Amino acid sequence: MTTTTAGASARPLAGARAAQLLAARLPEAVLRREEGLGEETVVVSREHLPAAIRLLRDDADGLYTLPIMVTAVDWPDREPDMPRFDVVYQLRSMMHNDVCRLVVQVAEDDAWMPTLEGVFAGMDWHERECWDLFGIDFRGHHDLRRILLPDDWEGHPLRKDYVSFGEPVAFTHNLQWALPMAERPADMPGTYHP
Amino acid sequence: MTAGLGVLRAQAGADAPALPIPRAEERERTAAMGGVVTTSISKLLAWGRYSSLWPANFGLACCAIEMMSTAASRYDLSRFGAEVFRASPRQSDMMIVAGRVSQKMAPVLRQIYDQMPEPKWVISMGACASCGGIFNNYAIVQGVDKVVPVDVYIPGCPPRPEALIDAVVKLQRKIAAEHHTLR
Amino acid sequence: MTTVLPPPGPPGPYTSGRPPIDALPLEEAVDLVQIGANTMELNMGPQHPSTHGVLRLVLDIDGEIIKDVRPDIGFLHTGFEKSFESHTYQQCIPLTDRIDYLAPPMNNLAFALATEKLLGCEVPPRGQYIRVIMAELARIGSHLIWAGTAGIDIGAVTPFLYMWREREKILDINELVSGVRMMTSYIRVGGLMADVPDEFYGMVNDVVRTFPHFIDDYELLLTKNPIWRQRLIGVGRISADDAIAYGVTGPALRGSGVAYDLRKAQPYSSYDHFSFDVPIGGNGDVYDRYLVRMQEMRESVKIIQQAYEHLPRGPVNTLDRKVALPPRNEINTSMESLIHHFKLVTEGFRPPRGQVYSAIESPRGELGVYMVSDGGNRPYRCKWRAPSFSNLSALPHMGRNALISDAVAVVGSIDIVLGDVDR
Repeated sequence: MTTTTAGASARPLAGARAAQLLAARLPEAVLRREEGLGEETVVVSREHLPAAIRLLRDDADGLYTLPIMVTAVDWPDREPDMPRFDVVYQLRSMMHNDVCRLVVQVAEDDAWMPTLEGVFAGMDWHERECWDLFGIDFRGHHDLRRILLPDDWEGHPLRKDYVSFGEPVAFTHNLQWALPMAERPADMPGTYHP
Repeated sequence: MTAGLGVLRAQAGADAPALPIPRAEERERTAAMGGVVTTSISKLLAWGRYSSLWPANFGLACCAIEMMSTAASRYDLSRFGAEVFRASPRQSDMMIVAGRVSQKMAPVLRQIYDQMPEPKWVISMGACASCGGIFNNYAIVQGVDKVVPVDVYIPGCPPRPEALIDAVVKLQRKIAAEHHTLR
Repeated sequence: MTTVLPPPGPPGPYTSGRPPIDALPLEEAVDLVQIGANTMELNMGPQHPSTHGVLRLVLDIDGEIIKDVRPDIGFLHTGFEKSFESHTYQQCIPLTDRIDYLAPPMNNLAFALATEKLLGCEVPPRGQYIRVIMAELARIGSHLIWAGTAGIDIGAVTPFLYMWREREKILDINELVSGVRMMTSYIRVGGLMADVPDEFYGMVNDVVRTFPHFIDDYELLLTKNPIWRQRLIGVGRISADDAIAYGVTGPALRGSGVAYDLRKAQPYSSYDHFSFDVPIGGNGDVYDRYLVRMQEMRESVKIIQQAYEHLPRGPVNTLDRKVALPPRNEINTSMESLIHHFKLVTEGFRPPRGQVYSAIESPRGELGVYMVSDGGNRPYRCKWRAPSFSNLSALPHMGRNALISDAVAVVGSIDIVLGDVDR
């Protein structure tokens, strides 16, 4: 996913300030720096993530105080060479007018992250949403339950192996979908006999 | 195609459990045997019902904004009797399901429908309420007629305010044609 | 003739699973539960006239004072992010209309800008200026809806009808350029759906001339109204630091005194060509957020005026034929254009592998799109950073120790759209 921008403009990369700050003050956290499309991404290790986020928030050179989002990207084909999930954190620094991106890679059987609720109050709901849609456990969260889906939902929809299925359109080859509800066999999906 | 449907109907096993509700045809036959007086009363009651259909506030998503536009000054819905949108379902007789119904919302929809007193009608406004719309996925109920019985469907995404008014007028005609004991 | 009700059936997938309301004891039937010595748990929504959509609020109240507000969201979860992964980029644009349904062109713009960043494609100046006009009209339309419905929550019904009358003019412009009143899908990847027709200029001129007077009318009704001031001043206060910690952006943040607007800080789509002010409030309460939005409407009219007066000539879509459809007359003469048209309609374009975060200033706050491309014709992952989601997470902070009627005012002032919150 690393692309270099040939002939890039003179404008500094978005997130370069955060990358330099981490490289200078907390180099053991930085695993990799990636550049592309005018933005710089820092891949950090999971155990150093809380310290890195605090550094970015509190240091005068950083002041990344606005939590934008926490999300994940599912790359199931990467396993077993690289971990499956990219957990992505974006922070904004209004003082320095910059957005930075931190990525932590976690494997499927090791899908947990430390919570950042204590660092930013806004991380609470974003982490719940990440748990809901991806199944990444945020350890230390005071109340990690589903936020967008019903509480008894099974599965994590945004994973690539979750097949999203509504209802097929009824053609002549699948006529049972054209039957009214009361006439469908009870074992057909989506059937409800009151 | 009809042969195919017939086979599937047989496979579905058409043993409906016998419920003590008089079937619709029976009620209509009884109604048709009524005399002049009951027909006039029926027309009077039907006129009363359709002339003041008060909708229950059930705007869910984008269609709710067009429903609000229909209630606003340019496409004034209260000309057609829908004077106030009641917040409480107990005080309304029509539910306009305006918007997409998610899986989490479906039991709530059913509960609100159950809380409405008879006679009640349901208008399914928009493509999402009628058939799931453009969202054929895990999260959206593919049509509210899986949850509540619907009287009028309005296609559109979102339907124009004129389409909603057309649906209300169609519903009024449907109510005018019903016998008052039907609901 | 008496009707015998059928016995209640077994709980199905869509029943509430509870016994009928008549069979419950009174306390359970009205959803009041005594949990502490002094507090009572009251359920507001999801079907409620004042929650602006399907939002459920669980209030812990002590008499009339709220001790805790717990929002329960997800009643409008539509699975947009999953749907994006199975549509091509251009097919995603009509999906984006429906997320924040009060200002659909903004969503189109956010998605289009992110995709254009991935592609490295430039939209010509005329396309950018018309995008600004449509986006600012959407902002005015959204603020009008907000003001009307917030007014109804407080009890002011008259401004609602006036504001929706003005909104019809904006919807007429939408219908003129795209054919649809609300879900325009007019702003697409690579530019616009098509150039504007001739009547556009007259209608926009009309808006620019008349809207400041209409906004004056609304302010005359509300701003110095003693009931309005008493209901809104001092209510739902949040300090700037707390707002930032919650991730609040937009007018809700600017009401607390933080002068940050993405149109000024990180201009996109030629916003740096226009001069406008960014209003901020001093106290962080509901009244300040109201004033910020009213002033923002005036600033939007200024921006539209400048864009309209200096509208450049030229194409509206990028000339890169691998992204935007070629004009129809070219298809008749050029083989490459025909092939490009065919490939774009059947397959769509394929951005190179990469990830990008692109944010715009929507009427609610920072609307960000985090898009990851794996080189295919569909977004591999498109995360919609919804401003209302973060803004709503600050509600417990704002609603603490307020009266129930103040909670209604606070929910209104955050200006949430449940489509945005739940996606």
